[in-house]
Amino acid sequence: MTSEHALERFVANARSVAAEVTVVEGHSEVVAAAREAIRVESSVYCPELSDLEKRLEIPEELRTSDFANASACIEEAFAAVAETGSLVWTSRAGKPVQAGLLPPHHIAIVDRNRIFATLDELFVQLGPETPTNITFETGPSRTADIELTLTIGVHGPERLTILVA
Amino acid sequence: MNAAPTHTFRAQAARALQDRALRDSMQHATSLFVEKRADGVSGLPIEEWRDRASEIRTYVLDHLWELLEQFTANATAAGAVVHYAADGDEARRTVAGILRDHGARRVVKAKSMVTEEIHLNAHLEQDGVQVVETDLGEYIVQIADETPSHILAPAIHKNRRQIGALFAEKLGFPYSENPRELTQMARSVLREEFLHADAGISGANLAPADTGSIVLFTNEGNGRMVTTLPKLHIAVLSLEKVIPHFSDLPVFIRLLPRSATGQILSSYVSVVTGVRKTGEATGAEHMHLVLVDNGRSEILKSGFREILKCIRCSACMNVCPVYRIIGGHAYGSTYPGPMGIVLSNLLDGMAVHHELLDASTLCGACVEVCPVRVPLTELIAGLRERKVDYGMADTRERLGMASFGLAAQSPRLFGLGQRLGRAFWPLLQRLDREQVLQRLPAPVARTFGRRNP
Repeated sequence: MTSEHALERFVANARSVAAEVTVVEGHSEVVAAAREAIRVESSVYCPELSDLEKRLEIPEELRTSDFANASACIEEAFAAVAETGSLVWTSRAGKPVQAGLLPPHHIAIVDRNRIFATLDELFVQLGPETPTNITFETGPSRTADIELTLTIGVHGPERLTILVA
Repeated sequence: MNAAPTHTFRAQAARALQDRALRDSMQHATSLFVEKRADGVSGLPIEEWRDRASEIRTYVLDHLWELLEQFTANATAAGAVVHYAADGDEARRTVAGILRDHGARRVVKAKSMVTEEIHLNAHLEQDGVQVVETDLGEYIVQIADETPSHILAPAIHKNRRQIGALFAEKLGFPYSENPRELTQMARSVLREEFLHADAGISGANLAPADTGSIVLFTNEGNGRMVTTLPKLHIAVLSLEKVIPHFSDLPVFIRLLPRSATGQILSSYVSVVTGVRKTGEATGAEHMHLVLVDNGRSEILKSGFREILKCIRCSACMNVCPVYRIIGGHAYGSTYPGPMGIVLSNLLDGMAVHHELLDASTLCGACVEVCPVRVPLTELIAGLRERKVDYGMADTRERLGMASFGLAAQSPRLFGLGQRLGRAFWPLLQRLDREQVLQRLPAPVARTFGRRNP
């Protein structure tokens, strides 16, 4: 169980790195928040692997299976870490981890019971059978390579929306 | 690998000092980094973390071969092919051979300092392979036909106007000096490269032995693309990147980005373990890991092995009063700043880089910030001594230093040395066109009756 404190800390840390975070309650709120998040999108990729992903009710005309050319990817995260404000993705269960990287808008849904207070607590959950890919995502893609001016959205998404369900 | 020219540091540093734009860029960048690091670590048990990280890295030095064996076994079990390259030449030939075997002609690359160290790109290009650097800073440096001036922010020495002009000239975009627009230009060019590359080459920040994984920290997402999009992924890593356990990662995840840029965490940390398995939709089909020794096993046996604890965060250069003024290029070495002074002398030999040993005031600012407690000033001081012992120093400099050494050891020789010094001082001064002796105190005219201990 995630403590209230861990939830608050996750939200604050994720916001501090420019993620847009919304905390929702119950399935109907998840669906409504997801719909709001994809409102301006032209094509949306959803892996539809988890129960939650399958029940998102994404309008048929927006769906695409081509994540490399989608304008958004919406998917459920493996977990989150309060300490760093990170989402955690793994290649388990056939998840294409790169799908959350290519579209300009990444929408992540995380179960509030999957927010770990610290990295150490998460690592206990991750080992010992390591999947091929584990990715920690902390805010949108960024660079400061030009005069150290922070610029969001280099190779990865320029927008990261997190729905805590 | 003694490719770098010798005896040029002073001239390059002098030139750097005259370059107003460079000085402004360096001042701006390093001040910002230092400020952000200070903010990033404040209020945290940073000393405790540094102790832990230092302990783990020391353990690695004590058990390097054993850990590499373990790493190799586990990476192999996960489907990777592990190669050991004794030197840069073998590493270059290994990578070129893998690309040839797979018929790979287009390569996207995530920033890796060890591939800079072994001049991999130039070698692959000779082999007819197109190599595109995908880290924005590294890409800027690549199309400008330069080398990185900072291990983390390779184009730190350039301002936005210079980059705008470069993109207009080399990529044909309309001139802009807006960092966001420039970033979007690079994004559009590089996205195409990612999607059409035959192979991805990355380095590794760390490599846990018990899982055989490699770990990459990036902000842009290029590390993720390079390791997941092409069918073939080659990671080139120096031996000392290995750490014992996957569960050791948290302390490094906490320390590395904070020490580097003050961030809580880089936008992306990827832990890649072998190839795509049955039922998975992520991961390269073929993965090769090239472990590069290139002098590490010798350093490990020397009195300077602690430099191998370094995790390349760049905190030491950001705080170094010398680096902050002259920038990375003046060093004429792959690795600049305090860690670079030590590592370059050990990797390439003192004949090439001994002048760099003067590029430190031994103020200790680097030691204060090093996340793994590398005793950088001690190592630099130790190398300065060795420079004299091993005859790498300039003859005139050696004469002066040697008389101090004698003075410290033998009262009898001290007296003789003094007499000789006094006798030859005017002659030495006339020969000393580079004014090396100005840095040494002149021999005293009399002994003031002090007895040498």
